Amino acid sequence: MLELRSLSYSYPGASRAALSGIDLQLEAGQCLGLLGSNGAGKTTLLSLLSNVLATQQGEIIWEGPRSLALVPQQLAFYAGLKVGENLHLFADLYRLRGSERRERLAMCVECTGLADKLNRRADSLSGGEQRRLNFAIGLLQPAQVYLFDEATVGVDAQSRQLLLAAVEQLTASGKAVIYTSHYLEEVERVAQRILLLHEGQVRLDLDTSTLLGADHGLLVEWPQHVPEGFGALLIALHLRAEMQPHGVRIAALNAEQFAAISQFVSGQVPLPTVMRFGRPSLEQLYLRLNGGQL
Amino acid sequence: MRLLALIRKEALLLARDPHALAVLFIMPALFLLLMAGAMSSYMQDRLPPLQLSLNAPQASEASAFFRSALQAQLPDSQIGSGAAAGVATVRLAGDFSETLLTAPHQGPSLSFPAQFDRLSRQRLYSAVSIALAQTRLLAYLQDSGAIDPQLSAAERLALVQQRTQSQIDEQQQLANGDLSAQANATQMSVPAWLIFGMFFVVLPMAGGFQREQQSGTLLRLRCLGLSLSTLVLSKVLPYMALNLLQFAALLALGVYGLPLLGLEPLSLPGNGVAYGVLALSIALTTSCLGLLLAALARSAEQALLLGGGMNILLAAIGGIMVPKSVMPAAMAQVANVSPMSWALDAFLTLLVGHGSLADIAPYCLRLLLLAAVLGTVGLYLFKQRVQHTQWTTHY
Repeated sequence: MLELRSLSYSYPGASRAALSGIDLQLEAGQCLGLLGSNGAGKTTLLSLLSNVLATQQGEIIWEGPRSLALVPQQLAFYAGLKVGENLHLFADLYRLRGSERRERLAMCVECTGLADKLNRRADSLSGGEQRRLNFAIGLLQPAQVYLFDEATVGVDAQSRQLLLAAVEQLTASGKAVIYTSHYLEEVERVAQRILLLHEGQVRLDLDTSTLLGADHGLLVEWPQHVPEGFGALLIALHLRAEMQPHGVRIAALNAEQFAAISQFVSGQVPLPTVMRFGRPSLEQLYLRLNGGQL
Repeated sequence: MRLLALIRKEALLLARDPHALAVLFIMPALFLLLMAGAMSSYMQDRLPPLQLSLNAPQASEASAFFRSALQAQLPDSQIGSGAAAGVATVRLAGDFSETLLTAPHQGPSLSFPAQFDRLSRQRLYSAVSIALAQTRLLAYLQDSGAIDPQLSAAERLALVQQRTQSQIDEQQQLANGDLSAQANATQMSVPAWLIFGMFFVVLPMAGGFQREQQSGTLLRLRCLGLSLSTLVLSKVLPYMALNLLQFAALLALGVYGLPLLGLEPLSLPGNGVAYGVLALSIALTTSCLGLLLAALARSAEQALLLGGGMNILLAAIGGIMVPKSVMPAAMAQVANVSPMSWALDAFLTLLVGHGSLADIAPYCLRLLLLAAVLGTVGLYLFKQRVQHTQWTTHY
């Protein structure tokens, strides 16, 4: 649906490229979580995809005509217009007509829970409601690729569930989505694939399940080092452990082994800083991969 | 369809912006009413009557003739007798009739109350001078036997007036432009504040564009691939229409509203096409100025300061706030650099000079030329501005 080939971009006067040699293939029905700390190149990539910046080097190849809808992180609507007027204005700008117009308007209003707000002026809405309107205007546009940039900032938990469900609905209907957010639990929920940018380059490009599944098991970390006797306990329990910078990770263990380790750990001073069983969250992985930077 | 949608959007936003409506309609209307009222006693077609008193210690035929001649010079004024407080006094000498033919001649003495303005003093001084000259001429004619002694007082006055009056041809030179000296308060105030109000359209136009850019809607529009011409026309057309509405509304206030307040109504002589061309010329100039301001300002606040400051300056030097006729010659020359002055001159040519479309064509051409320059520069900068609208990241 969308392919990037060796995409690079340098801002005039900058010492290093904002983006360097980005290769990416985005398939229909796929949601790509775009991650990276400030200055990693996310905004430049979004600007290139949305034609705000002109391509300098490399290629952006669309399957068919360019078809992109976007939800920017700015509240990009007319505050002096009512919610319904904003939606109708953008429906006109998207050249929506007849039944398609009616259906898409109804879908957007339902997905964002704005049905009872249509006659309210946008500037009288709460911050979360304004965010939902911003989201609805993006959803209203018929496109093959949808781009969400920090689209849920300031939205309450209930509304966020609505919006994330709308993103999931998009991918389920075969649309491709690029989703960038600092709420990593959101990315973890909606994205099937994670692209981590670091200093303009792709640091990681993996399926979410592979990424998160590779690090399952029991992770125990202490403030400084592994306490004495812990190694002997592992040998006694016939467990194999992978050494980590501040602790150990045990890939597989049973309930008795887990109970023995818990008993040992609870009797030690200091207590562990991390004791997690199961798979890590995306945020934990991200922090580790990105050198502790969000 | 997209253009229509954007124009409808601008219209809705404007209709819901009470501050913009106040600046565009209420402010010029208030200025118009206030200034038309305030200047009505100074700038009028007929000068106001004077209150004065003629003090003649010697009741003589000559002093009676002088009173009649003075009254003929000031037909609406009331001339009382004796001393009265608060009015100008003309005091004749005790030997007025005996000394009429002496040279050098000592004329009457004048005394003015404090509130008597300079123009009224000059009018009274001129009227007294003419009446005195006519009285002295009568004395000379009588002394030389050149007048029939059987003539009545009225006949004598008519004869003297006939001997002292000449036919002077007047020709109005419309091309000179500055007709503000002849305009009455209505003819001056209505076009002046109408033009001032029309130029204020640059504020909501530029402010709206800044808000569009800051909110990210411009980015959205840009990503939709809207052409520059659609974007520019969606700004220019609604504000031109608004300008034309201001033009019609404020003229209507002059025609129908001012008489309700006891002020001189505005009459619109000449061809309606000339008014239409003038309105379009001003509207095009203000819209192009608004486009330039939209491209230059970096925030709505900056647009407000730049636009408001520029308009007040253009009005101050352009003869809007102070008529050019009362400015010193050098300042009146400076006034000619202001487009508001061009528009006002064109208006006065129609209202006061009863000019035609051909008479106002030079002013309209000047306005249209300025609009072309402002529009070209504005379009270039506007394009740059739209192209440099970036994806903004706050988080």
